Amino acid sequence: MITVENITKSYGSGAGENRVLKGISTTIGDGEYAVILGASGSGKSTFLNVVSGLEKADSGSVKYDGTDITELSDKQLTKFRRENIGFIFQQYYLLPNMTVEKNVRMGADLAGSKDWKEIINAVGLGDKLRSYPSELSGGEQQRVSVARALAKKPKILFLDEPTGALDEATGRQVLDYIGKLHDQLGFTVIMITHNQNIADMADTVIRMNSGTVTEVYHNAERKTAYEIGW
Amino acid sequence: MVTVKDTLKLFGISIVICCAAFVCTLFINYRIDLAAIAGTVQGDQAQKLYDAQLSTSTVVCAVAGGCLILTSVVMLLTYIRNFIDSRSKELGIMKALGWSDMGIAKHFGIFGMSVLAGAIIGISAAAAYMPKFYELQNKTDYFSVPREMHYGAFALLALIPTAVFAALAVLFAYRSLRKPVMKLLREDPGSKVRNGKNDEALCFTKELRKDTVRSKRSLMFFVWFSAFCFSCNTQMSFSMTNLASETMGYMILVIGLIIAYMMLILALSAVVRGNAKTAAMMRIFGYEDGEISRSILNGYRPVALFGFILGTGYQFGLLKIMVGVVFKDIDTTPEYDFDFKALCIALPVFIVSYELVMLFFGSRIKKLPVKSVMLDN
Ligand SMILES: Nc1ncnc2c1ncn2[C@@H]1O[C@H](COP(=O)(O)OP(=O)(O)O)[C@@H](O)[C@H]1O
Ligand SMILES: [Mg+2]
Repeated sequence: MITVENITKSYGSGAGENRVLKGISTTIGDGEYAVILGASGSGKSTFLNVVSGLEKADSGSVKYDGTDITELSDKQLTKFRRENIGFIFQQYYLLPNMTVEKNVRMGADLAGSKDWKEIINAVGLGDKLRSYPSELSGGEQQRVSVARALAKKPKILFLDEPTGALDEATGRQVLDYIGKLHDQLGFTVIMITHNQNIADMADTVIRMNSGTVTEVYHNAERKTAYEIGW
Repeated sequence: MVTVKDTLKLFGISIVICCAAFVCTLFINYRIDLAAIAGTVQGDQAQKLYDAQLSTSTVVCAVAGGCLILTSVVMLLTYIRNFIDSRSKELGIMKALGWSDMGIAKHFGIFGMSVLAGAIIGISAAAAYMPKFYELQNKTDYFSVPREMHYGAFALLALIPTAVFAALAVLFAYRSLRKPVMKLLREDPGSKVRNGKNDEALCFTKELRKDTVRSKRSLMFFVWFSAFCFSCNTQMSFSMTNLASETMGYMILVIGLIIAYMMLILALSAVVRGNAKTAAMMRIFGYEDGEISRSILNGYRPVALFGFILGTGYQFGLLKIMVGVVFKDIDTTPEYDFDFKALCIALPVFIVSYELVMLFFGSRIKKLPVKSVMLDN
């Protein structure tokens, strides 16, 4: 269970101060599929970075089952991320000089897990183990980054606009893999998007606008990536 | 586009050129004066010593000057390559808007200024040092070289390298820019390195260590060359103090140390910069600082050691030849043998200082912000 309480964050100071998060509170349960929905510039990425411990908030707390990560040292935060968290970004940030397999091992080695090949198979790239990122399409690269994140067995998967750079068909495919693996492995998903329709895939939708949460609602039924509009 | 501030970042080249100009000015000036008294030397021993002096100054000029200039050329080209790589988007947009390759490339000529600055400082320093230098060179009883200042040569020494470097910068920039616009815009990392053998068993951090070294050959060369120069010049300076003069020893020592550290720092800065995203991504995933800096930097340790070993061999061979060939007929030349004492001092100093530099760059990697991975694009 993730409990976020009254998070604030600003960039700059004085007249140029930009209040990006203006007191955000919310909770996300274990194994939940949560989507953060909002227009560009509304503070979604900043919020995600604070919740995942990549960035420090100015005030407020982020508790994982009672542990407040805003009070952890950098070293403890690193350990926390190592044991709990996976990331997927809009840009895939794969290492260009390494094969698909080695990229995925970046995640797998952290958890000491040996099943990276199964995970690569699970995102449909079993025949691309020896390929380099530049030889893959955007969708395939994003699937590698999904495999890389999941190979470290995270309890929570953070995704910042994972389909932002993909066309509709490819985007659906990536979301479908993520949805299936979520159902199968039971990790928590916290995904940012500005696409209203993608929210239909979630249990919980948190709508943000200019640094505040304007609405939280739960879908009675989740749609699959192929059922939603685009 | 290419500003004076960018040129200032080339102060490394200025320093190396400054050394080259210093050494070459002294020895060229001396050699001209030496050549002028060719007819006046009398006696067999005197003639032999004269010939030896003449070839020594040619060799010193060629070796020291050549090494230093080669070093600065490599530095310049690497700098331009990095400059273009890191701004490939801007340059791509300029090209898309209709700038010609040459139109962009000619701005790189301003990099010649860093050479001019270094040369002027080096030549001035040499001119100031000249009287003392002649005093030292004239210590022999056989003949004395009168000192004259050859200002024309000084001017050429400043202007020719400046012009050549400026032209080189423009040509190299032109060549690097001759890519399709889309390639520049996409910031294609381009060079993926495939070393046929894909070692499946290798874990990620080990693979990264190997890949960091392999993927940027020029940086590997820099680290190697840095260790080579350190080893070669420090050890040679010990022997030179006995064989030639203390001044010569110091000169070689200082040049060696300057090249070695400039190169090492230049290379490692580039390594850290080039791996900023990888480091940020690893940190995001939860790799510890130590693991990150080790997998990025440790691959260079064997490279440096190899450079040191080769440098040791090279200086021994070079001195053996010099003593055997150049000074062979002169009675006063001392014996030369491998200097173990020099090695015993140079090696520990090398290891300690190399590890300190690595430690420093390790801490730079630790300070890279996690967000650097998300901010650009
Ligand atoms: N490192 C930063 N420094 C200054 N301003 C920033 C920084 N990161 C984000 N911002 C600002 O914070 C606001 C929200 O950004 P972000 O969280 O990325 O929004 P979103 O992901 O919803 O598009 C924007 O106005 C952006 O300019
Ligand atoms: Mg964002």
